[in-house]
Amino acid sequence: MKHEFEIDGKRVNAEAEWIGGTLWIHMNGRSFTYENENDAKKKKRGASGTAGDLVSMMPGKITKILRNVGESVERGAAILVMEAMKMEYTMKSEGPGMITAVNCKAGDQVTAGKVLVQIKPAGEGQIE
Amino acid sequence: MRIRRLAIANRGEVAVRIMRACQELGIETVLLHSEADVSTRAYRMADKRICIGPAPTAESYLNIEANVRGALAGGAEAIHPGFGFLSENADFAEAVEKAGMKFVGPPPSATRQLGDKVRCKQLAQKIGLPLVPGYQGEDQNIDTLIKAAEEIGYPVIVKAAAGGGGRGMKVLKSSDEARELIESAQREGQSAFGSPKVFLEKYLDRAKHIEFQIFGDATGRVMHLFDRECSVQRRHQKIIEEAISPSITPDLRRQMGEAACAIAEAAGYRGAGTVEFLVQDGKFYLLEVNTRLQVEHPVTEMVMNVDLVKAQILTAEGQAVFSNYDLKVPKGHAIECRIYAEDPYLGGVPSTGLLGTVSWPEGPGRRFEYGFEAGDEITPFYDPMIAKVIVWDETRPRAIQKMKRVLADSIVFGVRTNIPYLMEILSHPEFVQGEMTTRFIERHFANPLRAVSMDDWEKKACEKILRATPRSMSVSASSVGEASHANPFGHAWKGGST
Repeated sequence: MKHEFEIDGKRVNAEAEWIGGTLWIHMNGRSFTYENENDAKKKKRGASGTAGDLVSMMPGKITKILRNVGESVERGAAILVMEAMKMEYTMKSEGPGMITAVNCKAGDQVTAGKVLVQIKPAGEGQIE
Repeated sequence: MRIRRLAIANRGEVAVRIMRACQELGIETVLLHSEADVSTRAYRMADKRICIGPAPTAESYLNIEANVRGALAGGAEAIHPGFGFLSENADFAEAVEKAGMKFVGPPPSATRQLGDKVRCKQLAQKIGLPLVPGYQGEDQNIDTLIKAAEEIGYPVIVKAAAGGGGRGMKVLKSSDEARELIESAQREGQSAFGSPKVFLEKYLDRAKHIEFQIFGDATGRVMHLFDRECSVQRRHQKIIEEAISPSITPDLRRQMGEAACAIAEAAGYRGAGTVEFLVQDGKFYLLEVNTRLQVEHPVTEMVMNVDLVKAQILTAEGQAVFSNYDLKVPKGHAIECRIYAEDPYLGGVPSTGLLGTVSWPEGPGRRFEYGFEAGDEITPFYDPMIAKVIVWDETRPRAIQKMKRVLADSIVFGVRTNIPYLMEILSHPEFVQGEMTTRFIERHFANPLRAVSMDDWEKKACEKILRATPRSMSVSASSVGEASHANPFGHAWKGGST
């Protein structure tokens, strides 16, 4: 719906709509989603996945898995290849670590937000 | 012979574009669509709809037999393939003709000659057109390819022989990454075009991408409709295109235009096509020939005052198109921005979902080509391009100014788009001056956009909007599910949304 009002003497001309629990706003030349700061904090606490894990950022198909459970990987090492919207994306390790679980296989169709590969960052939980 | 009913073997905005041309020519349309594409604008506009298979492209849009069978079942006398999918597949053109229908496109022999990038280069060599040094051998063994790459000298670009649109293309910077990237290109080629065949080329590192629109009419005459510049590319996927190029001299333009017509004539070309060149240091090199309508054809249409899709259909009917007068002088400047469903703040990862309000700011010299409206779902099965915004104005600076305002006033809710990214590009000094090369994005926009932080005034405004927007208008989680593929009534809710 359209919104027209003034705040501190400045005019607001916006369009807004709720879609599946998310508020979309178009204002000052851009479309964006808006979340109240308190709501955002609440959501963050419930998020899944820990540091180092590879999480799919989009729905797509796993094309190839390049590394196995138990392997140590360097920062930037290619771990798996996925395909979405006809393009290939290589997912790389964010830091050095060890692969503790691979939760997908080549050919799998995955949704966004799925933890695909779990990587324990190096130096974490090691006996010095 | 007049076509009374035409089948469209495509989807999205190009299917809509073809339907518009058909409607104006008094031709009935048959949409050949996948199960996933029932909640789309093309589906709603078609006179007849035939489902040709499930969502995966190999089982629907790339399935020759299913498309031919669907067109026959719909009573079509011709098929327009659009771009992408089967548009450059000579076997498809042959199957269409064998089934007694007309293929709106070049003869299969010309597609074979020019569409296979390797054979195209051989023809270019024969008629003396300049080529980028490379390897086009039949030996596709990975070790042979790596050795060839080393001989050409890095950087080298690997491309799928049957490819296009940036798929199956990678730049190899050193021997370390050669094997991984060549194999990746082979897989992409196999998955997108059904062939793992690749070739290699020296990568020109400060070249401009400039292409010529060509057209072969029913009498066998081949002409060109001037050039487009498409240097703004990401992963070899074009983002912004314009006509005509701001950066070639009249003399170079004349030479390139002649070269474009020469290769098309040598192959016996008919219909719309594009001859792509790289231009570096005042020299041009043939890149490839696309034997189809191009995504960016509207910018040519706007500066030349022609309708290329109508011309394609009329040519298939054997009718005359364009007067000589039409083709003499390009007028003004046109720019196209491709709107991709992706998140520019996350490095361009695709964004899918149900579209809410979509609103394009109409006005003089503005054109919007789109295939999806409020209530339609953007699925992960296909290309992320959801719309094209095209503007025309008297000069390039005016066209850039207009495009920025048009994008700022365009509303897309439900999926993220690259509009903020396009806005940044349009303001970049290198783009404004027309000096961008094909490495423009890699050099200036390699990283995701920085998220915009809101000031207190904006936060106040948003809080007020949040409280004042009733949630009852919301699309609930369950209706997101209902709007997905198999349900042809998924778009019904949109009546109450705006």
